[in-house]
Amino acid sequence: MPPESPERDPVTSQSLSGLLLISALLLVLTLGWALYDEFYGLRPWKDYQRDFVVRYTAFLRRQKPKQEAAERAIKASPEYQALQQQVDALQKSVEPELRKLDEQSALIDQRLAAITGKYTDAHARVTYMIWEVEHNSGSSKRSWQADLDKFKKGPFRFEAVSLEDGRVRTESVDYDRLESEFKSLQAKKGELLVRKGELLRPVSELKAKLDAYFKEHMTGLTAAQIQGLIDKTQAMDIAIKQINNPDAGIVDRCESCHLGIREPIEITARDMGGRRVFVSHPDPELLKIHDPEKFGCTPCHNGNGMQVDSVKQAHGEYEHWLTPLYHKADPRAKSAGAYMEAGCQQCHTNDMVLAHAPVLTAGKDLFQWRGCVGCHRYQNYDPEPEELTAAQQKLQQLAQQRAEDVANIAKATQAGDNAPDNETARQFYAQANEYRLAVTNIDLQTDQLNTRIKFLQMDRKKVGPDLKEVRAKLRPEWIPVWLKNPHAFRPTTRMPRFRLDEDELPAVAAFIWQSALDVKLPSQPMGDPVKGKASFESRGCQACHAIGEGANAVGGWFGANLTRIGEKVDYDYLVRWIHNPRERSAPYCPFEKRDLTPADYQKHGLPYVFDLDHSKCPNDGHELVVEQMTVMPNLRLSWQESRDIAAYLMTLKQKDPASYPPAPYLNDPQLKAKGEEIVRRYGCAGCHEIAGFEDEGRIGTELTTEGSKPLEQLDFALYIGQAKREGWWSHRGFFEHKLARPEMFDDGMVKAEGEELKMPNFFEPQNGDLTKKWGLQDLPPESREQIAQLTTFLLGSVSSQYPARYFDLPEDQRKDIQDGWWIVKKYNCMGCHQFTLDQDSVLMTLPQYQTPDGKGQLPPRLVTEGARVNPEWLARFLANPALSEKDTDRDGVRSYLKLRMPTFYFSPIEVRKLVRFFQAMSQQPMPYIPQKLEPLTSREIAMARALFTSKGAPCLKCHAVGLPAHDQYATAPNFLLAADRLKPDWVKHWILDPAMIDPGTAMPSGLFRQEGGRWVFNGPTPPVFQGYEGDHADLLMRYLFELTPAEQQQLIRMTGAGMNATAAKAQLRPAVRGRAAGR
Amino acid sequence: MKIPRALWVAGMAVTLLLAGCSKKQETAEETSAVPSEQPAGGTPVDPATAGEITGKVTFNGPKPKLAVLHMDQDPVCVQKHSSPVYAEDGEVNGNGTVPNAFVYVKEGADKYTFPAPTEAVTLDQNGCLYKPHVLGIMVGQTLHIISSDPTTHNIHPLPKNNPEWNQSQAPGAPPIDKKFARPEVMIPVKCNQHPWMRAYIGVVKNPLYAVTGEDGTFTIKGVPPGDYTVEAWTATWGTQDQKVAVSPKGTATADFTFKPGAGT
Repeated sequence: MPPESPERDPVTSQSLSGLLLISALLLVLTLGWALYDEFYGLRPWKDYQRDFVVRYTAFLRRQKPKQEAAERAIKASPEYQALQQQVDALQKSVEPELRKLDEQSALIDQRLAAITGKYTDAHARVTYMIWEVEHNSGSSKRSWQADLDKFKKGPFRFEAVSLEDGRVRTESVDYDRLESEFKSLQAKKGELLVRKGELLRPVSELKAKLDAYFKEHMTGLTAAQIQGLIDKTQAMDIAIKQINNPDAGIVDRCESCHLGIREPIEITARDMGGRRVFVSHPDPELLKIHDPEKFGCTPCHNGNGMQVDSVKQAHGEYEHWLTPLYHKADPRAKSAGAYMEAGCQQCHTNDMVLAHAPVLTAGKDLFQWRGCVGCHRYQNYDPEPEELTAAQQKLQQLAQQRAEDVANIAKATQAGDNAPDNETARQFYAQANEYRLAVTNIDLQTDQLNTRIKFLQMDRKKVGPDLKEVRAKLRPEWIPVWLKNPHAFRPTTRMPRFRLDEDELPAVAAFIWQSALDVKLPSQPMGDPVKGKASFESRGCQACHAIGEGANAVGGWFGANLTRIGEKVDYDYLVRWIHNPRERSAPYCPFEKRDLTPADYQKHGLPYVFDLDHSKCPNDGHELVVEQMTVMPNLRLSWQESRDIAAYLMTLKQKDPASYPPAPYLNDPQLKAKGEEIVRRYGCAGCHEIAGFEDEGRIGTELTTEGSKPLEQLDFALYIGQAKREGWWSHRGFFEHKLARPEMFDDGMVKAEGEELKMPNFFEPQNGDLTKKWGLQDLPPESREQIAQLTTFLLGSVSSQYPARYFDLPEDQRKDIQDGWWIVKKYNCMGCHQFTLDQDSVLMTLPQYQTPDGKGQLPPRLVTEGARVNPEWLARFLANPALSEKDTDRDGVRSYLKLRMPTFYFSPIEVRKLVRFFQAMSQQPMPYIPQKLEPLTSREIAMARALFTSKGAPCLKCHAVGLPAHDQYATAPNFLLAADRLKPDWVKHWILDPAMIDPGTAMPSGLFRQEGGRWVFNGPTPPVFQGYEGDHADLLMRYLFELTPAEQQQLIRMTGAGMNATAAKAQLRPAVRGRAAGR
Repeated sequence: MKIPRALWVAGMAVTLLLAGCSKKQETAEETSAVPSEQPAGGTPVDPATAGEITGKVTFNGPKPKLAVLHMDQDPVCVQKHSSPVYAEDGEVNGNGTVPNAFVYVKEGADKYTFPAPTEAVTLDQNGCLYKPHVLGIMVGQTLHIISSDPTTHNIHPLPKNNPEWNQSQAPGAPPIDKKFARPEVMIPVKCNQHPWMRAYIGVVKNPLYAVTGEDGTFTIKGVPPGDYTVEAWTATWGTQDQKVAVSPKGTATADFTFKPGAGT
């Protein structure tokens, strides 16, 4: 047996060194990796920051020489040199005096230095001793007084220079002398300083001028400033850059990578070698209004502000992050800023106009114009129906309360009658009186509410026309053609296509036809289409209406395109509509819920008259609907001109209306019930007035916060998978697809009849096959742009998480501006007027207003309207632009324009908002208290008259005076309006230089020139001006505000020769014409 | 956890390889090319080789009837004329030639430098008419506006590309000097107080322009040899252009014939 070797001990015999080595190595590697990750892998922003420092420094170094050259160029310019020389010369001229002052000052300082110590010690001691004298009595008081007197005698010795000869001497004085010397030295020193300041003031003023010149001409940063930036960049810490506003929940680290955003120099991607991440903010103005320290980045841009691990995460572009970054659209697209502007909406819901967000602003307009608001509630849009309902409810409550109070009067009175004693009786009677007062208060409140209801009724508008009128207005055969596809008849119409099938369409048409009012309008004689065309093109119709399709369209987009109006409409109805679009065929009583008939009025012995002055129901006294709910205004045209325009419009057609197939089923009573059901299902009453549907609510979902609805709640139906694959599983993707082809989310779904999606088609492929499924890319570019605008608006429609102070909810004049824009947009005021210089009106773009004469026919610019007009006058003008009750076929201010301000029948609510809007736009305080002007002396009146009637003064050549022979040449308003209409300050600015207010105005500049601090007439002045020291512009302005009709007559008489010659020559004209023809 | 476990092991191995070499990641961002800058300056014109362009502007069609200008709203204007005054736009001479057409070298002269002349172009207001009715001026050249009328005028150009202004000039008031910074053919000028008054100013980059005279002819002098596009402008019938070649010291001809209807 072999010797048993002991079992080998694994502990001693086996080596783990290999394993340990490997483990150790792995550990070292892990450490290495961890360290690498710490420095390189996990902190991508560190790379960005190092890269930025390199690129930005290089960029700044490239910029520096350019800026230096620019600086040199400015400093070498003759103007700068001249200023510099002036500075040098002036400095030189004051130098001797300055040196003298400095010497004196130095001497005083020396002397003061010698005295000050001595004086302060002595002064402290004296003060202390006086205190002791005051607080002791008897002998110690006397003893302190003696000490004080002794101390004051001094002597106080010091060595100091003498101000007279500058030599140093030892002086010895008593305390009083010491004190007076100290104080006089101080006073002298102060005086010297003042003198020095005065001496140097012209120098420093000139230097400031030099600096100002430099700043004015230097664009961009100076070399020194750039060097400062370079130093700052070089010294930059590699660290997370963070904006932290915990109370608003904003922690934004975006600037850890976007390092150039707030730099004071414009940085483009090209400057940074193509690195877009480092560009500066493209709109520094926006950052000025929204301080990044307060707002951070994500409230506007979305994304995940805290994340710095990767670009994707920081931008919030991963699953379940609810607010991914808003993107720009394709930079080549017209709406390049799209989507990104969505970020503005959450704080700017009340703003209809955002200067920095044109895409969002367009989206806001479209939401109203396209009629989205007919089906979808959205805060602030179309508020009148809701306010009306609220007012009606309040009325009912008040009526109830009133009945109770009336009963309580009786009860309390009875209790008083039966009271056991007089005291109790008096208490009950007092109670009865309280109830009486309460009833009166309710009655007053009811009156107010009724007025408010009337006003709201005036302001309430519908997107589409009143369908109660179709029997009077339309050719019956046209209705089914229209319903089948409105875009086929009128490509730009806002009426969408409802996907009505073969059965539904006749039923809807039949219901609409049969539910309409059966009225017969008076037959109108035919007008003159040639005159009508001229009127159409000169009265301003084209501010809203275009004729011609596609590229040939001439006119505005706001109202219906009239290219084929002659195919659909009844002439008699059209005449009435043009004469006054607000006229209804019958009033509607919201209380009785029916349209009234002449019989209702007859019953009460009343004439069948209903308008804004006769708006109470004869049966029950409730406010009636007496106007059409259209925004189209009344142009106050004569019947004849209305007929001419209608006659012209009737000629506009592409095919003979007789070629439309007949539609006898319109009168089939069996179709009516089915039609009614479909009309209700599709919510037609959202946009149209329809008999029996007056109280119908909106059928769509509210969209005020649709952008923050969880994605899972948006009905992607069977498209979820595809949307995720194709990258449109997002709010934006949903909105875009839904707008492009709403019914796509019915694709593949099994739905019962009538359960399909109801949203109609607003956008369609051009000449496309509507049975095919189309996508966003198949739509024409204009449609895609509108979809981008609407999508931007909806994306931004979120319920905000930020505190209210972040919102744009001003309570000062800015609120008036916000409120006003809603009205301006509602009535398309911008079709005719410019409110800001960068916005062209529709009329300005039309061919007839391009010629020199045409430009003079444009309506006034309203850029300084608030500063120009008296708000009370403006309110009157807005309510009645003819400024006359009887003579309405005219414009109250600019009778010389063919265009005229139409009557919009604004309610006082809207008038007030508009007036406040204009005042706020021009920063004018409300209420307006007219300034008191100094009355003219009799000499001044004589002067003004002489100037006005002199040949040199051109005023009366252009301004109307009320004489037809003269006013046919007038191109400016009558001065008689001035006192009532204008504000004196504005008038003064206007006559001095109108181009500063209204560039391109017919009113010339240079009527006055400055002379010795006052303005004098820039032309020959009549002799009576000799020796007048006052301001001529001021004199004329005051004269205008004192002008009376009698005074104007006087002017006309005095001008005599000129005006009479005009009248006389006017008679001669035919003769001259006759001769001209011979040439 | 940031990195899935499976990657850990692989990652460790890779770490060694990576140690020391730091990887720069360039995100996918487009680098836009720097456009090359246009060389400034140009060739001066050599007067020794310069030629000229000459021609005639005619109208082929029934002579338009000219409107009489009614000046009766201002007696001063009426007094200045003893016979009726006719509108100047649309005027055609007996032989069919057109005065007051503006002819200028539209293209082809950009390579030359033409400093703006120091002498001014004068526009007079006389008899409530602008004299001349059509004028050319170079960018940066002074327009000197005077008035010979004892009434107040205002000079109101209505440009599209230049700033608009409107300046009053009373009788005896000093002349007004203005310049136009940008080329523009044509800038209409009106007087708001005498609405019939109309002038047209052609602001051009070079002095190669002319206005047809009473005989409807024009001559543009000092044209360096080369190929040009010449445009003729009329107030009534719009513009026409044609190409011409000017040889050294040569005379090129460019005749223009306008027809009715082709207005702007």
